[in-house]
Amino acid sequence: MKKILGFSVFTLVCFLSLSMGLIQAADYPTRPITLINPMPPGGTLDVQARAWAAVAEKYLGQTVVVVNKPGATGMVGAVAGAKAQPDGYTLTVASVNFTNAIEWERANGRRPPFNYDDFIYIGSFTMSPTLVVVPYDSPYKSLQDLMKDAQAKPGQLVYCSGGLYGMSHLPIAIFANATGLKFRHVPYKGGGPCLQAVVGKHVDFAFQYPPTSLPLMRGNKLRVLAVAGERRLKSIPDIPCFKDLGINAEYYGWVGIAAPKKTPPPIVEKLREATKKTAEDKAFNAMIEKPGDEVYYLHGDEVRKHIEKEGKTIAEIDQELAKEAPKK
Amino acid sequence: MDVLNNLLDGFQIALSYKNIYLCLLGCIWGTMVGVLPGIGPLAGITLLIPATFGLGPTGGIIMLAGIYYGAMYGGSTTSILMNIPGESASVVTCLDGYQMTLKGRGGAALFISAWGSWVGGTLSIVGLMFLTPFLANFATKFGPPEMFAILLIAFILLGSLGRGSFFRTIPMVFLGLLVSTIGMDPFTGTLRFTHGVTELYDGIDFIPVAMGAFGVSEILISTEESLVRITHRVRLRELLPTREELRASWGPIFRGSGLGFLLGLLPGSAHVLASFVSYLTEKRLAQKPEEFGTGRIEGVAGPETANNAASGSAMIPFLGLGIPTGPAPAVMMIALMIHGVRPGPLFISEHAQIFWALIASMYIGNVILVILNLPLVSLFVNMLRVPFRILFPIILLICLVGTYSVNASTTDLIVLLCFGVFGYVFRKLQYDVASFILAMILGPMMEMTFRQSLMRSAGSFSIFWGSSISLVLMVASGLLLLWNIYRELRPTKATWESALKEGG
Repeated sequence: MKKILGFSVFTLVCFLSLSMGLIQAADYPTRPITLINPMPPGGTLDVQARAWAAVAEKYLGQTVVVVNKPGATGMVGAVAGAKAQPDGYTLTVASVNFTNAIEWERANGRRPPFNYDDFIYIGSFTMSPTLVVVPYDSPYKSLQDLMKDAQAKPGQLVYCSGGLYGMSHLPIAIFANATGLKFRHVPYKGGGPCLQAVVGKHVDFAFQYPPTSLPLMRGNKLRVLAVAGERRLKSIPDIPCFKDLGINAEYYGWVGIAAPKKTPPPIVEKLREATKKTAEDKAFNAMIEKPGDEVYYLHGDEVRKHIEKEGKTIAEIDQELAKEAPKK
Repeated sequence: MDVLNNLLDGFQIALSYKNIYLCLLGCIWGTMVGVLPGIGPLAGITLLIPATFGLGPTGGIIMLAGIYYGAMYGGSTTSILMNIPGESASVVTCLDGYQMTLKGRGGAALFISAWGSWVGGTLSIVGLMFLTPFLANFATKFGPPEMFAILLIAFILLGSLGRGSFFRTIPMVFLGLLVSTIGMDPFTGTLRFTHGVTELYDGIDFIPVAMGAFGVSEILISTEESLVRITHRVRLRELLPTREELRASWGPIFRGSGLGFLLGLLPGSAHVLASFVSYLTEKRLAQKPEEFGTGRIEGVAGPETANNAASGSAMIPFLGLGIPTGPAPAVMMIALMIHGVRPGPLFISEHAQIFWALIASMYIGNVILVILNLPLVSLFVNMLRVPFRILFPIILLICLVGTYSVNASTTDLIVLLCFGVFGYVFRKLQYDVASFILAMILGPMMEMTFRQSLMRSAGSFSIFWGSSISLVLMVASGLLLLWNIYRELRPTKATWESALKEGG
């Protein structure tokens, strides 16, 4: 009996010291960290997350292993990330796709499988606007041309996106809503096929992200009419942004890091610091900038605020879109 | 000879010790991910992206491209020896490849598949070298209606895939189409048959389905007969193809190269489509199509060549325009972009060194792969001498691990096992499982392109004969359909004789 008691006390002590060790932020991190990416491998988002993982290792002192867990526009991975042990060893790549997925589920009267508050946001490191692109020999020389034509022929102009209510569909829906214009939407499977459709003149225009669009612009295959955001891009300073044109239709593809909501504050602080340092890191900046993007750091609390703001816009749009969709 | 000079420069870069080493590394890794069921080139390339952060853009792309075409070599191994598709483009190789193994000709099938892969791969690099800018622009002319017309031809050919009767093939086609509708409607976001399961939003991936329906069901069937099955010693002579086999595979290899190269230009997972279309074409052209599915070398040579040729030409839109049309080229493109090299229309002129070094390395890589794969043939074939009661649990384990590792998804495991049982039952009932899988692949693509076309034209069907390309393809599919009907209905000698007998 004594032996059993002694043994159980021993295991209890072991267990407690182990769990204390996990919670103790002073030691964190003591083993490799898993970063769940809810998006499929290979996209821009995946590469940016991997770049963060590669550089953050330097500031965390532990390896960061990226695991792709795609499915249901990111919901599968996000749920796995939200339900993970809140010990700082399982983090999730947060992105605008969180908002896209949650708001779409809500707009369709379903309960999203995860929520904004299931996570504590560590920080975000990019915030890229889309570009309005048309085929190179398109009659539209400026965004005004396109808008004028769209006004004359409502519902006649066709645009493509990389997928329904995804990162290249919503900015157009928001734009259409803000300007009161009507377009026809042809979804493709991914940004690449959509860009090919623009180059091949199968659609009239699209909103696409700078890294893939800019080389095509330089090679005279595409014309960029505007930057769909509130600031111009460093790499194309002479192309006007929506703010210049007086259009209020903002949408940004942002990427960041989130932890499960019950993660102890000291660990969150440590992660936030590492993310900030990573965002300032030269190597990290090079990895983001060389493909044509820009590092734009936001503190975790600011990320939460941004989500709040974009959630409202997207909710409004999604409700409109959900009305158009056929009912069961 | 501008091209030759450029190529010579390319070889100078590609033949440096470092680049040969990276090419070799990529090829070995590619063969491995190809051999391992479940893990395909996409996962293989993505895993190694962080490793390219430290390499230059040239070294990085040489290695990643090596993985991509290397996987096409490796993919056939498990298809032929164990009836488990090593990766998606080798699904169709199972049909005749595995039957050849059962007849003791597995070594020959592997040999021919490596040989065909080399021919297809090398010919498509020649095409890549001379025609990239031209073909990249040509490929953009293929919009949804043109794609739909091509898929329609593939779909009509699908009717002749099955070995059994019409009534054992068509139900499976419809079942495949039905399963492929599971998931979110890509146009309206309506959920179809998901029953509230979040994991089903994206539909059912065909790779675990194919692995289950072919591989797992094969294991289940073997448990019935494993005591009876005899594994015989393989002699070297049996590893090599016979003269007839070599002669029979020339045609499929060259047709496969051409077909694969052209279909590889199309968006999507073109190498899967290429391997299927090549198989169906060979079957259509064969003297005795009824022998397909019983271990014809043509059924291995064609598709295995086509998927390699397609993997070469799939890089054309990405190298020529900077538009990745499939997932694997997309990852390679990002690997270049991390180093500040942005593929685009100006890529070949601005980064001539990288382009030509890549081309040169692909010639080298294909030679490396043949040298690498031929000795492996005897090794793999000898693996079959391991008693089945030991081998099959290991295969099953590898299937499970491979499937799980792609998306870290337990749903995929459930799909794998469920379709294992499904495949077992339907194979026992002698239904044609291959038609099921091809319908699953074609269904969503056809739906997508069809609806895209109609969305583009605001509902007018005239878009399908609006461009000259789609008009030609549509007419071709119509003629193919008529020919199919005629072939079925025309009085053959046998029917004449039986009619005479009945009459007399």
